[in-house]
Amino acid sequence: MHFDTNTIIRHLPELLRGVQLTLILVLVSLAIGTVLGLVACLGKLLERGLLYWIASVYVTVMRGIPEMVVMFWIYYCGPLILNTRLSSFSAAIVSMSLYAGALLAEIFRAGILAVPRGQGEAARALGVHEFWAWVDVILPQALRMMIPAFIGLVTLVVKISGLASAIGVGELVYEASIVSGQTYRYFELFTAVGIFYFMLIFPLSLFAQRYERKLVRKTR
Amino acid sequence: MANTGSASSAVFARVWRRLDWTSAISFVAGLAIVYGIYATVEWKFVATLDFHILIEYWQPLLRGAIVTLLITGAALVVGLSVGVIIAILLQLPIGPLRWLIVAYVELWRNTPLIVQLFWVHFGLPVITGISTTALESGCLALTLQSSAYLADIARAGIQAVPRGQWQAARALGLPTWSLWLEIILPQALKIMIPPFANLALSFLNGSALLGLLQVGELMTVATKISDYTFKPIEIMTAVGALYLLLNLMVGRLARWLEIATRIPR
Repeated sequence: MHFDTNTIIRHLPELLRGVQLTLILVLVSLAIGTVLGLVACLGKLLERGLLYWIASVYVTVMRGIPEMVVMFWIYYCGPLILNTRLSSFSAAIVSMSLYAGALLAEIFRAGILAVPRGQGEAARALGVHEFWAWVDVILPQALRMMIPAFIGLVTLVVKISGLASAIGVGELVYEASIVSGQTYRYFELFTAVGIFYFMLIFPLSLFAQRYERKLVRKTR
Repeated sequence: MANTGSASSAVFARVWRRLDWTSAISFVAGLAIVYGIYATVEWKFVATLDFHILIEYWQPLLRGAIVTLLITGAALVVGLSVGVIIAILLQLPIGPLRWLIVAYVELWRNTPLIVQLFWVHFGLPVITGISTTALESGCLALTLQSSAYLADIARAGIQAVPRGQWQAARALGLPTWSLWLEIILPQALKIMIPPFANLALSFLNGSALLGLLQVGELMTVATKISDYTFKPIEIMTAVGALYLLLNLMVGRLARWLEIATRIPR
């Protein structure tokens, strides 16, 4: 058995098309997820009222259910319950955004809670308006604390995008399955796919690791 | 007329001052979301859902849940042993070995489980010549990934054991096996409990992926039943609830374990 690199090179266009769709899936669902995460984070920070309960249930449910189940649920049940046509692509986007939003809500909340209370209190004591206390004092510090966790989430969303192949979205894993089904070169193609994902994910997690170490050193 | 106007504006001003802003924002935003959901959902269809089939199929669903727990548990236990061994080997000052271990850990941590699963199931048999069943390759892929994650967690745990413990053990002249088994590892394992619990939860959810290979765990059972009965919504909702329940149970267990093993100060 030899490692047939020719198969990979011959089918590189298909694989790259898959990478492209993977990136689109990740970026779109991260953008929508950020909005959802902000609203849910607001709800959890308010700590009372209707929005708090909705946000709590949303975060708990999304974190407690496998992404696979969420994706299948939305793909099969979404069109029936909402009485719309839902392509596999939009089903994947919806489920990935919902998932990213729930995790982002917790990341945002943890970042804001990690800023020492004294910072906001000091700003208010100095007569800084509540709005500017948030914009100038609390949020910049919170954002810096969130960066490692946020990048960790990006890598998670990249990994999860592979699941979209199960509902027929033509991303990287899907393209590889199709091509390897035709050529029977499973080993070569999935090795190539693994390398592609590694190239997407590894730099991000390396950066997050370095950044986190820097943060720890700074706060000490 | 002017009098009533000023009176009502005074009442308004008092209400305005008394208004609890966080509750008000929370209520209005929540109401908007509830209304949005209410307006988009096709309630006539939801009313036709028939959850009675769950009573008919509770046995296979329960069996699937048990298989899910067994697979996840096995992958975590084997992964923990391999991970701890890897973390101990990482302490040895052998350059090439360290590089090999780091490469192994990073490779499995930085690729999606679905790719690993297909690689193990479809790719590996081509080079090894050993054809594995779906269950075997599913367990193998989960174990390989969990061993990589746990190696990292164990490394951090070992590093978190205070230096004084090592120095004291060495000063007492304890043999290496005693240093590891009686001094370092018990403490490191306790430190590892919270990250281990997080990993356990993410693997419990990740194991749903094995349903793609028809392994026989909860997700496989769910897709089979919903294909057979044409009731995907009822089954998938129930399976989601079942996974949520398993998650909450495992989370509770982890918290109990964390408290039970806490070193009294």
